[in-house]
Amino acid sequence: MGNLRKNIRVLKEMVYLRFHRMVVSRLDFFAPFFIDGILFVVQLLAFNVVYSNVDKIGTWGHGEMVLYIGTFSLINAINMVVYFFGVNGIPSKIKSGELDLYLSKPVSPLFHLSFEKTSPGSLPLAAMGICIILYGASILDVKPGIAQIIQYIFWVLVMSVLYYDMEVIIRSVPLYTVSMARMEQIEEVGIDLCMKLPGTAFYGIYKVIFYIILPYGIMATLPVQSIISEMDLWTGIYGIFIVIIFSCITCAVWKYGLKHYNSASS
Amino acid sequence: MDESIIKINNLVKKYRRFKKKEGIRGSLASLWKRKYEERIAINHIDLSVNEGEFTGLIGPNGAGKTTLIKMMTGIIAPSGGSIEVMGYYPNDLKNSFKKQYAVVMGQKSQLFFELTVNDTLRLFKEIYEMPVKEYQESRDYFINLFGVKDIMDVQVRALSLGERMKMELLAALLHNPRILFLDEPTIGLDAVASKQIRGFLKEVNKQRGTTIILVSHYMEDIKSLCQRTVVINNGIKVFDGKTDGLFAKYQKNKKLHVTFQNPPGDINFKTKLISVYEESPYKKVYEVAKQDVKALLTEITEYGLKDIIIEEEETGTIVERIYKEGGVNCV
Repeated sequence: MGNLRKNIRVLKEMVYLRFHRMVVSRLDFFAPFFIDGILFVVQLLAFNVVYSNVDKIGTWGHGEMVLYIGTFSLINAINMVVYFFGVNGIPSKIKSGELDLYLSKPVSPLFHLSFEKTSPGSLPLAAMGICIILYGASILDVKPGIAQIIQYIFWVLVMSVLYYDMEVIIRSVPLYTVSMARMEQIEEVGIDLCMKLPGTAFYGIYKVIFYIILPYGIMATLPVQSIISEMDLWTGIYGIFIVIIFSCITCAVWKYGLKHYNSASS
Repeated sequence: MDESIIKINNLVKKYRRFKKKEGIRGSLASLWKRKYEERIAINHIDLSVNEGEFTGLIGPNGAGKTTLIKMMTGIIAPSGGSIEVMGYYPNDLKNSFKKQYAVVMGQKSQLFFELTVNDTLRLFKEIYEMPVKEYQESRDYFINLFGVKDIMDVQVRALSLGERMKMELLAALLHNPRILFLDEPTIGLDAVASKQIRGFLKEVNKQRGTTIILVSHYMEDIKSLCQRTVVINNGIKVFDGKTDGLFAKYQKNKKLHVTFQNPPGDINFKTKLISVYEESPYKKVYEVAKQDVKALLTEITEYGLKDIIIEEEETGTIVERIYKEGGVNCV
């Protein structure tokens, strides 16, 4: 409990410092609003072109797909705001030996690295994601109760943890080998595909890949299934199980990696 | 009673290095059959350091000094032997252990360059869980000691190298660590800044009783600060004893960089020269035995001296001599 309180205080201070660092440079402060905004609009236009010509993807129609895109955007925005820029810097810090300084501080190095570069500039992305979700809900005429909304938020948060796990696992590779071997591309391709296609559209080997090996396929699918009342008990249990398994893998990969860390020579 | 704050026995660190034959054939062959060679960075080292000691760690590049520091701080795990720092096995990376030491690496900064030092210190206060009063007292103490009150609110990137190193030390010492590990803290600093840093370190060791382990290539740092020096070469401890003793025994020669007012021509000194490194009309560099420096200086002054620099022997030369004479002096 004491550790949690300490981590919250450290996180608060890191967010405060990050905000300070961003406002020091006007470009750093304003650029994310424009860049993220433009990227988001481009993505929406692409989706619009695709889904205006397609009635159904798997069992989901236009409304479900809008809800799905909104949910994926929201999870992606949480990732960008909270941990992406921190986690993304891990490989370079391992290679340069900068990780040494994180290991010598009395706070979890992974926690420190993950949350030291929060990006408030990506917050508008979350707002845009919520707008799309509301639009999707209106198309489907879904009027969720409080319990359903809580359930949906729960799944969005749980899937954000899964997203985080995947990012950390991939970026911990340099603890074991010199090269990253373009591992990030697996993530890029997986996310790119799963942002366009819901998990319900995958069958056979594709389902194995995107539900078990690289579980990007369930990240936005499960929250949407929960809000449109399509999620059965087993799907829910499966979702929780996968997140627990991947969190354990992340822990093991990181801790075992640190034992193998040789630090770059100075 | 055993006062050792650091206890190292038979410590070994091995690295595996990838090796391949030159050319495309070698590269292709290495895809299927990889060859590795083992490099021993630390080779069965024993060391114990008492609380409050100021110990210097010297040796040529690649000797294993930084590797030893990294094992003492828990950054890397040893391959063999035992290591105990303040009662902890460092590589367990326990927060209670990390709270009790600080490490300053001359080539790696722990400050945020876009922000002021005051901003960074706020984060350190939370990381080290310092109560407000203790934080303020400690910060004020070091601000006064280092004389940096006026630059606490200046962006770190705008500070000079010397000022930045003072700030690195301030940030490291803020939580009043029991042990301070310093890896080349004066690297790249000018003579004035180096002297200031040495003064602060001496004060911290004396006033706060902080145990300091200093890695440096600069003999002046070691000579003026450390009561004890450990010399490492190729991962092996070749000397461990009093610093005065080390220099008295193994630093035998000095280099004299002499600039004359007018070209003195060929000079036949009565003093025996070890070697002559440079001989231009106005400038000459002589190497002479330590005890003959005075005699040579007396002779040189007769030729119209403009400037003179007396240089200590490099670490590498001393280590080489210790090796040749085969003496491992241990405390």
